[in-house]
Amino acid sequence: MSKETNRLLGHADEADGIEEYDNPLPDWWVGLFWFTIVWAVGYGLWYHVIAHRSEVKQLQDEMAAAAVRWPAPSPVTSSTFTITPDEVTRGADVFAKNCVPCHGADMKGVIGPSLIDDEWIHGGQGAEILHTIANGVLDKGMPPWGTMLPPEQVRDVAAYVITKNSEATGRPISAIMAPPDTAKGAGGADSDSTAGTGGGPGSAGATAPPNGEA
Amino acid sequence: MAQTTSGTVAAATPGTGVATVYDDAIVKMFFTAAVGWAVVGMLVGVMIALELAWWPANMGIPQITFGRLRPLHTNAVIFAFAGNVCFTGIYHSMQRLLKTRMFSDVLSRIHFWGWQGIIVLAAVTLPMGMTQSKEYAELIWPIDVLIAIVWVIFGVNFFGTIARRKVKHLYVAIWFYMSFVITIAVLHIVNNLAIPATLTRSYPVYAGLTDALVQWWYGHNAVGFFLTTPFLGLMYYYLPRAAERPVYSYRLSILHFWALVFLYIWAGPHHLLYSALPDWAQTLGMVFSIMLLAPSWGGMLNGLLTLKGAWDRVRTDPILKFMVVAVSFYGMSTFEGPMMAIRSVNALAHFTNWVIGHVHSGALGWVGMMSFGMLYWLVQNLWKRPLAHPKWANHHFWLATIGIVLYTVSMWAAGLMEGLQWRALNDAGQLATPAFLDITHRLNPFMWIRLTGGAMYLTGAVMMAINFWQTIRGPGAEVSPTPVPVAAD
Repeated sequence: MSKETNRLLGHADEADGIEEYDNPLPDWWVGLFWFTIVWAVGYGLWYHVIAHRSEVKQLQDEMAAAAVRWPAPSPVTSSTFTITPDEVTRGADVFAKNCVPCHGADMKGVIGPSLIDDEWIHGGQGAEILHTIANGVLDKGMPPWGTMLPPEQVRDVAAYVITKNSEATGRPISAIMAPPDTAKGAGGADSDSTAGTGGGPGSAGATAPPNGEA
Repeated sequence: MAQTTSGTVAAATPGTGVATVYDDAIVKMFFTAAVGWAVVGMLVGVMIALELAWWPANMGIPQITFGRLRPLHTNAVIFAFAGNVCFTGIYHSMQRLLKTRMFSDVLSRIHFWGWQGIIVLAAVTLPMGMTQSKEYAELIWPIDVLIAIVWVIFGVNFFGTIARRKVKHLYVAIWFYMSFVITIAVLHIVNNLAIPATLTRSYPVYAGLTDALVQWWYGHNAVGFFLTTPFLGLMYYYLPRAAERPVYSYRLSILHFWALVFLYIWAGPHHLLYSALPDWAQTLGMVFSIMLLAPSWGGMLNGLLTLKGAWDRVRTDPILKFMVVAVSFYGMSTFEGPMMAIRSVNALAHFTNWVIGHVHSGALGWVGMMSFGMLYWLVQNLWKRPLAHPKWANHHFWLATIGIVLYTVSMWAAGLMEGLQWRALNDAGQLATPAFLDITHRLNPFMWIRLTGGAMYLTGAVMMAINFWQTIRGPGAEVSPTPVPVAAD
């Protein structure tokens, strides 16, 4: 700032008495301004022309890196799905943390449907319930919890939901846990159902999605 | 107005011998409105800060829930408080800088009462839930039409005054005011183009992404041309007046003005990074934000360097203290803004409380403190009497400064925390905190710290209002019915 002249311009009579110096621009300020301009042009060229980057490519890169670091988790399957008291206890905790906002602490439904009536929109057999929790029903606002919770927690909360449903409806757990295709009264599968191939007893004739009723 | 006689100041026009009488009554009207709306707008801000820390504070009354009061807060502090501050300073300084009375006293008063009426309509409709759901442009279409009419009236009065000025050279403050008057008219009208359906509802003429882009072109430049350029204009008039020092560099003031107004208008897309906006438009928003750094700092530099040789007074004079902190926060938040516009930083900061902290370091720090400095200077110069409680001004300064620090630091911490926790993965590659609500709960202590900072800031503003009231109306206040010659000023 040694170039300061502190010479008055003499405009004060036209600025209500405010004097102005004609000091030069600080060198570092001019340098900063040029640097940002050059950087802006350089970044734009690098991003679009040289590196061919884009929002979509960034997502693909991140997903590819994640796929290497975390190989696809073992999918939640019903092959090892049983219901034990330990699972139900842990499942209650998982339910309280993740499910209550939509299904309600009393499980009677809030913006998601009731889980303690005899109506299952996406299949009422154990494997189907597990599948719905793990894969979600995005159209209806049900998230795919298999991507957010460890597989054992998905099984725990399914065990908890099935147990509570059985207590409320009187439907035996053994009947719920029977394979979907052998369950009595199995309805036709909805074409867009993510819940597997069979409908539960309550889904018979329920092709019109009754969401929002609960 | 009863103040017309006492609020009128005469000045001899050079060469003519005819006395020019400045209209200071209108300045006093805007001044009073600015101080009143400051208290109201900040009170609503503290109320919603309380609701964020402790939700039962909304008492289950829909009209005072966060969603209704938040737009009321932003409209009140931006358009009511900051707007009236700008009008106060512009009506006061432009008459003196141009050595002429305002073009039309009638237009001045239509502007004043029209603007206050608009604010009252906003204060009624927003709590009722009437909104067009555009941030900082929530007001429904009939009010938007009123705003456009009143703004054009202000514009006619403003440019009419410039047209009949008695000086040749336009001081830099006037340039900044011009950018305010022109750009806000364009932004407001273009963003609010809509087809009315009923008296309270309308549909924007833009659809989807175009609507979003127009909205953030508006939203970003509302910050640029409502909260930045007019306040730089006020800085260029009131800071050298209060410091009684020459402006550091005329060349810098001209260059940073043109660079600022040219670059600002392109930076809006940085509000839509990682959205459906095409990549090239996102890049445009980002790089124009980076290029905005030096022009913004040009204003800070010219403000701070103007105080060279007056630093001894900065230690003791509350007005200069307010202005120094204002200019410093301007420099800080105009550095933070470009950084947050960088793609990778934005990916972390966007939608977090960091954004709230950023906007408040600009709003409380730059706009608020510059306003307070100007108002303390004006109250003594307009009413020609010393402050009733000089020490209170100092208390106000410290309450506000510490309040801003509590506010911004707590929001930085909260924003970084939630930004990092939203994206944190566990060893299995799954979200470490899958429940959004868990992170929200962890923010609670920061919400209380922010409330404390905001309440301190409000307390300072209330002290200022009482101080002004007692200065103007209090016992022993002298009433001067005769015009005071401005030449002796």
